[in-house]
Amino acid sequence: MAQRTTFASWLGILLSAAVLGVASCSSGGGGGETPTPSGPTAYALTVPAGFPTPVIPADNPLTNEGVALGRRLFYEKSLSSTGTMSCGSCHQQSKAFTDGRALAVGVDGVANPRGTMSLVNVLWSTQLTWDGAFTTLETQALKPIENPIELHQPLTVGVARLQASSTYPALFQAAFGTQTITNELVLKALAQFERTLISGSSRYDTYMATRTGFSADELAGLQLYTTHIAPGSIRGAECFHCHSQPLMSSNYEGKFFNNGLDLTFTDPGRGGLTKLAVDQGKFIAPTLRNIALTAPYMHDGRFKTLEEVLDHYSDHVQMASPNLDNNLILGINDPPFGTHMDLTATEKRQVIAFLQTLTDTNFVTDKRFSDPF
Amino acid sequence: MKNRPASLFLAMLLTASAALLSGCKHDADSQPPTGSVAFELKNMVGQQALALDGTAYTTADGETFTVSTFEYYVSNIKLTKSDGTTYAAPNEYHLINTAKPGSSNFTVSNVPAGDYTGVSFVVGVDSTATKGDPLALPGDLNPANNMYWAWNTGHIFLKLEGTVTSTSPNKAFTCHIGGYRQPLSAIVTATPSLNGATLPVRAGQSPKLAVAADVLKIFDGPTKFTVSGLPTTMMPSAASVQVATNYAAGMFSVTQVQPNSK
Repeated sequence: MAQRTTFASWLGILLSAAVLGVASCSSGGGGGETPTPSGPTAYALTVPAGFPTPVIPADNPLTNEGVALGRRLFYEKSLSSTGTMSCGSCHQQSKAFTDGRALAVGVDGVANPRGTMSLVNVLWSTQLTWDGAFTTLETQALKPIENPIELHQPLTVGVARLQASSTYPALFQAAFGTQTITNELVLKALAQFERTLISGSSRYDTYMATRTGFSADELAGLQLYTTHIAPGSIRGAECFHCHSQPLMSSNYEGKFFNNGLDLTFTDPGRGGLTKLAVDQGKFIAPTLRNIALTAPYMHDGRFKTLEEVLDHYSDHVQMASPNLDNNLILGINDPPFGTHMDLTATEKRQVIAFLQTLTDTNFVTDKRFSDPF
Repeated sequence: MKNRPASLFLAMLLTASAALLSGCKHDADSQPPTGSVAFELKNMVGQQALALDGTAYTTADGETFTVSTFEYYVSNIKLTKSDGTTYAAPNEYHLINTAKPGSSNFTVSNVPAGDYTGVSFVVGVDSTATKGDPLALPGDLNPANNMYWAWNTGHIFLKLEGTVTSTSPNKAFTCHIGGYRQPLSAIVTATPSLNGATLPVRAGQSPKLAVAADVLKIFDGPTKFTVSGLPTTMMPSAASVQVATNYAAGMFSVTQVQPNSK
């Protein structure tokens, strides 16, 4: 018995010493706190192979409860002044979170100056909206909610409605540990949901992983997409400079371009924000993932089909437009007499065939992203 | 005899906990101390800080031009002591992007303590890294940074884009340098002089190296180019190698060595 006691106490001392030893090795601490048993649980985000490591704000980690709440709020019509629209009214899953309109239309039937943007892979966007007016989802989400020609309701009013509901206080308790709903928490939950809208299982992704499964036209289209023109020797379509792989956008790089739509700008785009002459007429190059689902095209929806888009880049770029992107200035497939990119009808068809491989049917039918109401 | 298993167990625990405890002291005592070196790159055009806001710059030849994009990789950093021994920092790949001010500062950690009198780095990416599976490339090497050519040519090591404004009409220029296969390898090493200064690396001391990168030296080196005559290089080529040789020779200069930036 005596022996046993000694052994047990030795064991205790040794174990605590070992624990201490381990604890003192860990830098920066964080130990000592016991996790709240009822706290939110971490959301398991699946990042497709080859995508950059996403940056999630330290003060808004993804949790299952936060994402679920965000999804509900995304489709919550009481965040609009009329109670008739939600984020999901313009950002429709079946259209890769766009609305099929040239210009977005809000609760009062007034059109916005620009079209609804897809939310596909918005997690990686370092610049949000057509002109980079926002750099975080948490700050961006407030604008469409309060903008008079969008949902047209101060968020504080929406928050009061949520607070008075029978369901939301408990959902905020589960997600953020408080029943007191605030603007900040609504925006955080919405951002959490938006960050889960990941599209990375298109036929293009399968092709990149296996190098199989593409038709000859699709493969030729991919080559045109990713080829810079060497005038006179190598034909290309230059797409990848701005719509960079694997996200097929410039949102990750945070760059803006003038793609030669106009000679003078009714919408100055990025230049309207920075007031710099060199930014006039520049816009983000939005993602081409699911592009076949997001017509019409361009910031003002001027092109109804992908055929019209290819015709623009091939034949109708305004070569004298100020700040026109260098790759469009220099990308002349048929020198010395060619004046534009001049893709052939076959090349246009091949690029479009490739663009259609970017449609991700799993993404647009994923139940996790659908309207829960 | 009855106690033997217990004492054996005890001994094992003692060993285990001793190992755990000594794990802490290991770094401080038996391994050589390490420190870090902070790098601060400043993109310049001659004596002016480079801006992407449409500011026009003038070359020695009297051409004027604006810059819209200036990006390049710094990798394979080596630090050399006065006795000639060298520390090669592993896995350092930094994309310096003028449009992202934060990208111009980075810190190389775990540098063995000592007085370093020389520095060198690759302007670009080594062939091993650039041949890697593009789908698995992390961070600054990821193709999403748009510093990567598709189809087996690897990374773009340096990208300069802008407009020559002294010609009529203005002339866009695009200079993308890359290529890792001989004879058209554009992997070059810059060895800017510390001008006699030493980098005193100690545990808990982080000397800082301020390095200027002068865009004009891309045109002006062993091979002279005018901006308007700069070949539009979009793939490995002899001209790419000439441009890379230019920027390896003269683009980088150490402007300040700070013994401790902390």
